[in-house]
Amino acid sequence: MSKLDATDIQGFVLRGYGLPFARYMFLEIADVQRGRRFIGSLLGQITTGEHWDAGKPEWTLNIAFTHKGLVNLNLPDASLLTFPVEFIQGMKARGEILGDTGRNGPERWDAVWKDGRVDVWVAVNSKNKETLEERCADLIRLTSETGGAKLLGSQDAGAFLIDGQWSPKEHFGYTDGFGNPDFLGVKRNTQPGQGKLLSDGSWAPLATGELLLGYADEAGELPVAPVPHLLAINGSFMVYRKLHQNVATFRRYLEEKGTLYAGGKEKLAAKLIGRWRDGTPVELSPDAPDQQVVKDKQRNVNFTFGNDLNGARCPVGAHIRRTNPRDAFGFNGQLINRRRITRRGLPYGPYVPESEPARDDGEHGIIFMALNASLFRQFEFVQQQWVEYGNDARLGNDKDMLMGNHEGHDRYTIQGSEDPRNPPFVCGDLPNFVELRGGDYFFLPSMTALRMIVAGTVDPR
Amino acid sequence: MANQSGSVYGLTILSPICYDKTAETSHNCAIRMKLAAMPRDEFSPFAKVSSTHLARLVVMDDVVYVGAPSCEEHLKSQYLIFETNFDGDLDTYLSRMAREIPEEVDAVWQHCWGYPGVKNVDAFIAYMKKCQVTTTFFFADVNNKTVQQTLIALQTQAAVAEFVEHAQGLSPSELQKSFASFLVKLRGAPPPVPGRPGAGGPPRIETKMKWASKNLAASMAGGAQ
Repeated sequence: MSKLDATDIQGFVLRGYGLPFARYMFLEIADVQRGRRFIGSLLGQITTGEHWDAGKPEWTLNIAFTHKGLVNLNLPDASLLTFPVEFIQGMKARGEILGDTGRNGPERWDAVWKDGRVDVWVAVNSKNKETLEERCADLIRLTSETGGAKLLGSQDAGAFLIDGQWSPKEHFGYTDGFGNPDFLGVKRNTQPGQGKLLSDGSWAPLATGELLLGYADEAGELPVAPVPHLLAINGSFMVYRKLHQNVATFRRYLEEKGTLYAGGKEKLAAKLIGRWRDGTPVELSPDAPDQQVVKDKQRNVNFTFGNDLNGARCPVGAHIRRTNPRDAFGFNGQLINRRRITRRGLPYGPYVPESEPARDDGEHGIIFMALNASLFRQFEFVQQQWVEYGNDARLGNDKDMLMGNHEGHDRYTIQGSEDPRNPPFVCGDLPNFVELRGGDYFFLPSMTALRMIVAGTVDPR
Repeated sequence: MANQSGSVYGLTILSPICYDKTAETSHNCAIRMKLAAMPRDEFSPFAKVSSTHLARLVVMDDVVYVGAPSCEEHLKSQYLIFETNFDGDLDTYLSRMAREIPEEVDAVWQHCWGYPGVKNVDAFIAYMKKCQVTTTFFFADVNNKTVQQTLIALQTQAAVAEFVEHAQGLSPSELQKSFASFLVKLRGAPPPVPGRPGAGGPPRIETKMKWASKNLAASMAGGAQ
């Protein structure tokens, strides 16, 4: 295993910051030289994967580029042409594959994503709102001082403050943020259940090359990456998706079907996702939520579906089972080890407590960001095959209940068992609970690669 | 019996393509043009031969030389590869091809060495058998069901899934009554048409929606609750 140089890797790739405030700024490069100067002025501020000796910093800063961004920074054609095709095309062009059509289609996206002008993504995370505003104002000042970039738009996101505490909940009321995989060489508080399943039932980190370019992946191959090697190594690809949540529809659906489902509303909510709304995995606790399990890091992501192939506990199509099937497809889970993604993300828009009426329209949802070495093999596969299709899970054309582009059709089956407290149930007439509002594919370069881009010394020869 | 997987027959044909250096359009190119224009949906000629599970026509050019250290080798001719899985025996299938899609078969195979045409069905069958290669592997999804059985199974599955969805919550006596009338409708449903797997799935059998939910998708447009 190669030793990772965490100081050369952007921190956003290696860890979830767990900071409550975030702003994602979308920039257009105004001019090659001035654009490089602008990015150069940020270099010293970019957060790397370096160990936080003094605890969490007040703020973080990270940067990534669309392919057009790299074109506008004048990388050599011989490098630009070696990026993977899906990254060169960008997310909009991949819409048919991803199910980004109809209600998810580009005509319904935010203006900033409609015309494909975004070159740069700059993310600021912070402990408090004032710091966030200061850092962002500083960035805007740098864009005008250098004349290197123009702000096209920005997106705020942040954790919910519930009863005076920062909460890991999202708009539908589920506790989010479990289960990112472990990777070889990435220092982290490892939990059993992350990474990959071994034949003896234990868990091990995934190959580094499933997250970072320049290292062997689970097939012992190097991920498809641009030349030169120095431009690629320690970099990663990111998908950014703004997912609007139809909160009123979700609550109404849950209410309506919850009265028909013998297990009741909360159990229905749990059966849709595979976790009770407090985070308890239904696989481990099928009858009731259990905070003991949620708080136990030895248990809260440590489960398999091999003894539940019929979905009696966790339905076969439950969101967390679809997107991380673990051992559900047999072969000790080996079929999924090259399909794992690392999720980063935060909700946006105000949280509406269950006691207050919610709306579908307005600005609320989740900023979904996922990191992987191959957008094509990892994110796009999961989205196309496991979210928008059901064949691998033997669910035919069924889509992910929560994320699927249903357009009012489709159904979701809760397999249940003969136990009268756990009856089978079919949810029909599925509306779109989540709708895409835009996004794109980005490359998060290493610090070395950033310095090369700034200096104009990317040399593919 | 490597050509047989249960009730399904796997036919592999390699027909050498004519070489004529005086031709304005080579036979190889002529076949490719024909194949490119052939519909691949329910209008495919093979949809008419209704016992066909799947059919594939490919032009095999040559052994591709990939550079040293491999040695350069060539085929004696180009080949038309024809792969098909179907129900029943080979003679019946080939004679159905000759009788039901003669123009399409002639249009493709006329560019192959020794092809006698379909007018003389026996000669056609003998020619195809001469070009036959033993099938060793089947498409992974091949099971022991006929095309008709598969289509009816899909139709039944879709109808039952819909029935289950809409029959939830019925009392046992209501359920029994509802299921009885559903069965009558299902049995009376027109048989599915071969060659139309992608056309919106099997025909839907309307069931009574006992507690059909409000159309949430439509109400979503309203926004506020």
